[in-house]
Amino acid sequence: MNQQSVYHQLLERSWRRPLTPPEQAELRAWLEAHPECRAGWETEAALNQALRRLPEPPVSSNFTARVLQAARREAAAAAGRGRQSPARWLALLRERWSPVRWLPATALAAVLVAAGLFSYHRFNFNKHQAMAQSLAAVAEITSLPSPAILKDFDAILALDNAPPADEELLALFQ
Amino acid sequence: MSSELEPDAALMIRVKQGDWEAFAALVDKYKQPVMNLACRMVHDPTEAEDLAQNVFLQVFKSADRYAVSSKFSTWLFTIARNLCLNEIRRRSRHPADSLDAARADHEDQPLHQYEDGKTSAPPDRLLHSELEQKIEEALAALPENQRLAVALCRQEDLSYEDIARVLGCSLSATKSLIHRGRETLKQKLKPYLRTGVWREPQ
Repeated sequence: MNQQSVYHQLLERSWRRPLTPPEQAELRAWLEAHPECRAGWETEAALNQALRRLPEPPVSSNFTARVLQAARREAAAAAGRGRQSPARWLALLRERWSPVRWLPATALAAVLVAAGLFSYHRFNFNKHQAMAQSLAAVAEITSLPSPAILKDFDAILALDNAPPADEELLALFQ
Repeated sequence: MSSELEPDAALMIRVKQGDWEAFAALVDKYKQPVMNLACRMVHDPTEAEDLAQNVFLQVFKSADRYAVSSKFSTWLFTIARNLCLNEIRRRSRHPADSLDAARADHEDQPLHQYEDGKTSAPPDRLLHSELEQKIEEALAALPENQRLAVALCRQEDLSYEDIARVLGCSLSATKSLIHRGRETLKQKLKPYLRTGVWREPQ
């Protein structure tokens, strides 16, 4: 450690607190070896003294009591807010619905939901199966006849409007 | 486990558990240091006391967030620093709200009425009073971060590392702030410091 840093360390310590007797002795030795720094040190020491001797601002005798009163008010207000806050409700729910209580019920509900889903899935599967079978049956039916067979449709239809057969004449022919 | 903790951290654990006596003990222990810092920052004892009260109220409200591994005084002074800076910024935005306006009614009274516990002869007392006023003015004229650093530097239970944590800057930046603040003070107070009235025999 060089001599200059010893001086700076002592200087920095002196800013915060009075130097101890060994530190003062160290400083005196340093100043004897470096008389050019004495004036600077004396100004530093005078400023230290001045700052230390500044009177402390008075604190009211009831300061602590007032702080405690304000803190109690704050605690009461916080408790009031806490009763209405979502966090409070969550805490209450967590307290009421502890895992030990809700785990069996949740397990039962999960089993029921799983059974329900399975049944629904099975029902849908069966429905789709039946539909597929119907479609297959329809597909097996012979395809419709060609539209060519309908070329005499109007003539055949007109046959219905022809005069009724002469039954007596037919009987004579027979 | 509690026995390994620093006493203030142990008190804070009790505060978290709703122990009012522990909270009162912390307030009693730190009210003067917090008041010193607040007064140095806002230059008004009445306003500083309100600010100090808010600091402890904030400590109470944030007790759940306090990590017992950290040093209580560092945490406390960080809260104090934040509230002081907020107050200074609020004042700069709304200068009319400052309690300085209310002081106009009592202009015949001195700015600070501190009790002088020291028994000095009247001429010495006058000189001290003048010097105190000059140094208060010089401190008040420092930029806020330098003023804060110089004020925290007077807290003997805070190391330079702790001060750096409170200020939220590096150790070297903290020492630089203190050094620059002190240089400004020395320049402004040179004629008064030379009188040697504050010098104590070493």
